[in-house]
Amino acid sequence: MAIRNIRTIGDTTLTKKSKEITEITPKIKVLIEDMLDTMYEAQGVGLAAPQVGILKRLVVIDVSAEGDSPIILINPVIEETSGEQTGEEGCLSVPGKSGTVTRPNYAKVTALNENMEEITVEGTELLARALCHEIDHLDGVLYVEKVIGGLHKVGEDD
Amino acid sequence: MTKTINSNTREIALGILMEIVEKNNFSHQVLNRTLGQYQALEKQDRAFITRLCEGTIERLITLDFIINIYSNVKVNKMKPLIRNLLRMSVYQLRYMNQVPDSAACNEAVKLAKKKGFASLSGFVNGVLRNIIRNPEKVIFPEEAKEPVKFLSVNYSVPEWMVNHLLSQYEYSVVKAMFDSSFEDKKTSIRCNLNQIEPKDLKVSLEKSGVKVEEGTFLPFAFQISEYNFLEQLEPFLQGQFLVQDESSMLVGVIAGVKQGDYVIDVCAAPGGKALHIAELLQGSGHVDSRDVSDRKVALIHDNIKRLKLNNITTKVQDAMKLEEESIGKADLVIADLPCSGLGIIGKKPDIKYNMTKEKITQLVQVQRDILNNVQNYVKPDGILIFSTCTVNKEENIENVRWFLEHFHFQLESIEDMVPEALRNKTTKEGYLQLIPGIHDSDGFFIARLKKCK
Repeated sequence: MAIRNIRTIGDTTLTKKSKEITEITPKIKVLIEDMLDTMYEAQGVGLAAPQVGILKRLVVIDVSAEGDSPIILINPVIEETSGEQTGEEGCLSVPGKSGTVTRPNYAKVTALNENMEEITVEGTELLARALCHEIDHLDGVLYVEKVIGGLHKVGEDD
Repeated sequence: MTKTINSNTREIALGILMEIVEKNNFSHQVLNRTLGQYQALEKQDRAFITRLCEGTIERLITLDFIINIYSNVKVNKMKPLIRNLLRMSVYQLRYMNQVPDSAACNEAVKLAKKKGFASLSGFVNGVLRNIIRNPEKVIFPEEAKEPVKFLSVNYSVPEWMVNHLLSQYEYSVVKAMFDSSFEDKKTSIRCNLNQIEPKDLKVSLEKSGVKVEEGTFLPFAFQISEYNFLEQLEPFLQGQFLVQDESSMLVGVIAGVKQGDYVIDVCAAPGGKALHIAELLQGSGHVDSRDVSDRKVALIHDNIKRLKLNNITTKVQDAMKLEEESIGKADLVIADLPCSGLGIIGKKPDIKYNMTKEKITQLVQVQRDILNNVQNYVKPDGILIFSTCTVNKEENIENVRWFLEHFHFQLESIEDMVPEALRNKTTKEGYLQLIPGIHDSDGFFIARLKKCK
């Protein structure tokens, strides 16, 4: 149980491609726990391993209002998307900023869970957005590359 | 990813306005598409965005008139983003009582900065503050002195359109038309008599929490309001009604179909009139409903399935092109043709700004071309119903006169078919012009033409 440092934009780790996880080692188990703690502490809805400096294909997501429904995805692959949603997006690695991004409104992802069992996660709206955003991190892609009309400071419009 | 930030409703509205006003897209399409993309919006935010966008469009000319009184830079010289930001902000100041003036102004200034016009945020602030502080500066043109300007600014209708209508109708009629375009629009529905009696439909709609009022002219029509998602109402899913304006239902009424008739609707989508006639045929005969594209025909198809009718089929067929097999076959041809839409500016305010004199001239010709083509399908002694949703006489009675000069048809009285309230000199002759504000309906024209032997 520990809070890890979140790398921010400019850190080259964030632009690199992550490697597949082949087995669950004790180190990976700790990483999963730490990532969940780090995400909840930062009030995020998703975090990818490269954001804490580890180039492995692992993301954690929790879009529930209560923060009690974590989704752990190892080696996730987007199998299917459909529709479109345009809305504000922000990233823990780009603090204080947000921008408008168009994403699919539905996404279906296959992955392994923390016990290396195959799972399928389907989501619409916010969950679809989070799935796409986090899986982009594993390929070194930040949402800022997809922003329509520039970044702005969070809170300026509220 | 961070928690998503509530997107600013005014920013979304501004984006929608830019699409509609600067890129000439249809307002209902842009609104539906954009709101569809922002699934996470709260219901009241959706309502706010819809009201703000529709209201601004509806009052565009009036808003520009007001802004030009206070601003040295005229609206048409402003940067597009600033001009639309000011329009929607002035709409909030003048027409949305629930928005505090300071909020409308502050949000506009923030939005100008956020959109990269920080240098103009002072200008936006200045104009809006001036409007808030000195409301007495707004003086509309005097009705007695400048009637055309008065109508144009007061009802947000371009001057050429005001003049065009004044050349065809009395001043008081034109004013009544414009007045009615700002009234609350209820949804008219037609009861599917094959499935349910009107009184039972009323009960079942009321059970779903819908407010139901009687139709104006017809016993099987209702006006409904206070519903959330019409398409999720049980009676809708059951196919017990169809959304259709009462004026358009009159087409079915004056068609006077007989059991076993073969009917062609040449521009049928979304199918209201064709479906009505299929219902009146009570399972007999056949309605061949056509339109120009797959997408339009699919709309008809959805409705056929829902209303569970089996004497109606669809076909992709351009009304401008002759389909030889149909020549001389139809007992009844329905030709509800593309038109300027001047009868529905209340429901579709974009028409006021997108229509031009040149387009009207083209539409008159399109109607003639289609009539010229589809009159071939009518049997001797058969009927052609010609209708439009405009009040512009060039597209209506004048085109009927042109048609009678060129083809062997005659007008036939609809006196006994139309509801009593609508009977007049012209119904005896064989046609009817409905005028919004005079009749409680859309503007609509119908003529019944019989092919001579």
